[in-house]
Amino acid sequence: MIVDEIFEIVSYKIDAEAHIRVNQDICHECTHRACTFACPARCYQWNEERERIDFAYEACLECGTCLLICDREALDWHYPRGGFGVHFRLT
Amino acid sequence: MGKRFDVIVAGAGPAGAAAALRMAQKGLKVLVLERGDVPGGKNMFGGMLPGCPAAEELLAGFWDSAPWERHVVKRVLTIIAQSSSTSLAFEADSYDHPPYNGYTLFRPLFDGWLAEQAVRAGATLLCSTVVQDLLRSGEKITGVRAAGPEGDLEARAVVACDGVLSFLAEKAGLRPPFAPRHMAVGVKGLFRMPEELINERFNLVRDQGATCEFLGCTEGIRGGGFIYTQTETLSAGLVFHLDALKRSGKAPHELFERFLEIAPVRRLLKGARLAEYSAHLLPEGGYRMVSRLFTDGMLVAGDAAGLCYTNGLNQEGMNLAITSGLHAADTICEAFERGDFSSKTLGRYDARLREDFVLKDMKTFEKAIDWMHSDRLFSVYPQVVGTALEEIYRSDGRPKRRMGRIGRDALKGEVTVRELIADLVRGGRSLL
Repeated sequence: MIVDEIFEIVSYKIDAEAHIRVNQDICHECTHRACTFACPARCYQWNEERERIDFAYEACLECGTCLLICDREALDWHYPRGGFGVHFRLT
Repeated sequence: MGKRFDVIVAGAGPAGAAAALRMAQKGLKVLVLERGDVPGGKNMFGGMLPGCPAAEELLAGFWDSAPWERHVVKRVLTIIAQSSSTSLAFEADSYDHPPYNGYTLFRPLFDGWLAEQAVRAGATLLCSTVVQDLLRSGEKITGVRAAGPEGDLEARAVVACDGVLSFLAEKAGLRPPFAPRHMAVGVKGLFRMPEELINERFNLVRDQGATCEFLGCTEGIRGGGFIYTQTETLSAGLVFHLDALKRSGKAPHELFERFLEIAPVRRLLKGARLAEYSAHLLPEGGYRMVSRLFTDGMLVAGDAAGLCYTNGLNQEGMNLAITSGLHAADTICEAFERGDFSSKTLGRYDARLREDFVLKDMKTFEKAIDWMHSDRLFSVYPQVVGTALEEIYRSDGRPKRRMGRIGRDALKGEVTVRELIADLVRGGRSLL
């Protein structure tokens, strides 16, 4: 799957800190967890064992889908710091 | 920064770079802030820039020096059903002569070039800089707060060209927060393919290009597919309404991979190599979701203002961005002449867009958004078309039925007469 090899086909300059913060308490109560399927880069995955969202900000394509589909304000959403994040070379 | 600027432009996309170029040409001191490390570095556009007279108005000989890939002469619409596909291919001789009717291009190259023209004209470009907030004096916008070392930057006017999510328009109170139904997400793969093979496969010569749209390829989710030809690459992907995607429970990247396996798509992409994958939002609210375009000290242009629309056949945005950037610039130049940056003068921007095709077209297709939100258009009807045509074209020794009968049977059980009439009326209202 493309999202499994996303770091091989998409260029990133990864910041040390996440640009989006996930409020796990809210996610824990969420009934749809739409972010876990709707994110085009599959950055959000529900961890059954730990009962939390595993969020891989490193692969974020900065599209904003999660911000729009989260109806519980669980995300503190920012663009990455200047110069960091995804860098489309060819597109 | 230690330098005063007349105007600050947030975002070096086509709206921002066009506005900056125009204002710099007119002698204003312009600062452009871009969050990518180069203009276009955050952009994944894979579509068509429709013919755009404003570009020539910005720079004589624009198209002779702008980096574009192919000029579009052919528009193909393909309706995908379970076991068949139906295509309508439109080609026009007039699209093959300059001024061309549309161009495919790469935004990291195009945006870089356009921003460079602005810099040559005297604008200052600062990349890797995220605009965090607006500065205010009372109700009036007086500058921006940049993250990082630049900090607070003051100017007489701000042009917000910060893209589809425009936090600046929201912070200025020019638009309400978005709802998923006002937005679509596009996922796209960029595929490499030799130029000759693209020409052969899409039946093109020289730098002719084709756009291919696909309906019925989204597993019933409101949306569609596309393949656009660049010189040595193809952009292929899907667009979904966010509310429909959310309800479906399906993953866009998985839908994308299944799209690539649909027979007509697979045939077009055979031998192509995936080189990049990307995703982005598109304003999909149409005219009703265009933000307020001005306030004291600030204008909004391009995607940031929601200036982007589709009616099913036309998908326009980049030409609206460039044209709105130009009008924003001219309005601000006027404000400098008058020495008035209040809504009174800046409101002329709204009037200019209304007089031009930008808001006229969006208004013309205002109701298309209702039509584009009919689920059956993406689920039932593509299958009905396929089922009916498969029987009409079939010759198997059995007596043929009249076409009206075939059509009625294809619809039976899928859609009621009442629903069909409602959809026809809605479609008629939105397009005719």
